[in-house]
Amino acid sequence: MYFTMFMLGFLYAIFALFLMSTGMELIFIGGIVGVMVVVQYYMSDRLILMSTGAKVVTAEQQPALHRMVKLLADRYEMPMPKVAVIDTPIPNAFATGRNPKNALVAVTTGIQQRLNERELQAVIGHELAHVANRDMRVLAIANFLVTITSFLMTMLFWNMLFGGMGGRRNNSGGGMMVVYLVTIVVYFIGQLLVLALTRYREYGADHTGAEISGDPGALADALEKISGTVNNIPDKDLRKLQTANAFLIIPAALKGEGSMHLFSTHPPLEERVKRLRELEKRMRYGLR
Amino acid sequence: MGLFSGTKTPKDDWSAIATVIKAEAKLQALGEITPSRRAGVIYRNDENNSFQGDIKNELDVVLYVGKGATKTAFEIQDDDRGMRWIVLEDGNFGDLASSVYTVGNAIGMNDGVDNLLAAVFELYFTGTVEDNTYRSGLRTYWIYRYDRKAFYPFVPTGDSEGERDRQTEARLGQDLRKHGLVVEKSLTEWMGLWGIPF
Repeated sequence: MYFTMFMLGFLYAIFALFLMSTGMELIFIGGIVGVMVVVQYYMSDRLILMSTGAKVVTAEQQPALHRMVKLLADRYEMPMPKVAVIDTPIPNAFATGRNPKNALVAVTTGIQQRLNERELQAVIGHELAHVANRDMRVLAIANFLVTITSFLMTMLFWNMLFGGMGGRRNNSGGGMMVVYLVTIVVYFIGQLLVLALTRYREYGADHTGAEISGDPGALADALEKISGTVNNIPDKDLRKLQTANAFLIIPAALKGEGSMHLFSTHPPLEERVKRLRELEKRMRYGLR
Repeated sequence: MGLFSGTKTPKDDWSAIATVIKAEAKLQALGEITPSRRAGVIYRNDENNSFQGDIKNELDVVLYVGKGATKTAFEIQDDDRGMRWIVLEDGNFGDLASSVYTVGNAIGMNDGVDNLLAAVFELYFTGTVEDNTYRSGLRTYWIYRYDRKAFYPFVPTGDSEGERDRQTEARLGQDLRKHGLVVEKSLTEWMGLWGIPF
């Protein structure tokens, strides 16, 4: 969903730029973009439901899931959110809603099957923490600021290149290209900051969720289980290994994780698990 | 092991095996493990190799003769999967690790590099401190693969292939890395050794 927001914001900036190049008044452009952002903000839960295929379920359809969400919502002292299920074997979960009153929490059938009650509770606790921390709103505002900033920067360049706003437009193709390029660059840098913010909020939700449940280890277990990394540890005995390493096309030392951390919305799993385990220790035996 | 990860894979066995001394000392200082005294080197025995064919006498020289010899006690055992084990015992963990290196190095230097499979250290978690992460009496093995130049933890739950506590191993791997041990990054390479003779 972050990617969707990213692309939407990007679309706004380009769209505004396009309107500018047609010579439309700035105030109109601002108005149009503003309306779009507001609509997106208020429609986001419905948009997400539509795009993920999540189906809202009643307490009769999924009594156990409803009980679990109710229990956690009570602990957060928030109203009961809508509960939705996505029918896919891929284990995942998300929460959305601009505030606790309009919250929705969704889980996939895959995650329901794979996790035990304690772990699922930790995952839902993490998602509700996003709602309690109002992360959707924080993110929407950050996105909005980035969009506005790139828009203003673009205007500035527009001025420098063509002198005067919406005035005489002897716009050569080259000048327009520069303006588009600046928009893209500024927007991209802004989004990197938003991604950093998102990762930070992710740690925050881990922490809040752990405090509410009092069991940070549960989420760590769930993360490890979902990621499936533990299952990469083989059944095979080392003595069955016949071939030497020398003939591998990619040497062992060159394989492994790349450097995509800057772009990912979630912090590296290992780091999250590590922090949760440390928190677990501290919570069990008090701060030292 | 990306370009920016900052950790380097050691180029030789000694720089990797030396990290086990550091990690063991740290865990002992934390009160998480009892002093460890046993380890082993496993290799594919080749009777046609002159060094391996006379391994008992050769190791007597390598481990006992000369200044600075560790004088670690050793035993030769063949397992039912066609491998030979040099089982070492020493009350001084630094000496134990040195001897493990020495045995592997001696076999390797005498045309046996391709025969070397792994070195294995045995470590017990105790639970003498209140926030001990691992259950008391947990027996773990730290396996060093010569072809990978890295360690990984092995916690068997039985003697048959595949019986292992993966969750504990994954956790332990992270902790040991934190304590300075060179840990194999790729979990798919964490192959077990069931029926370790010590």
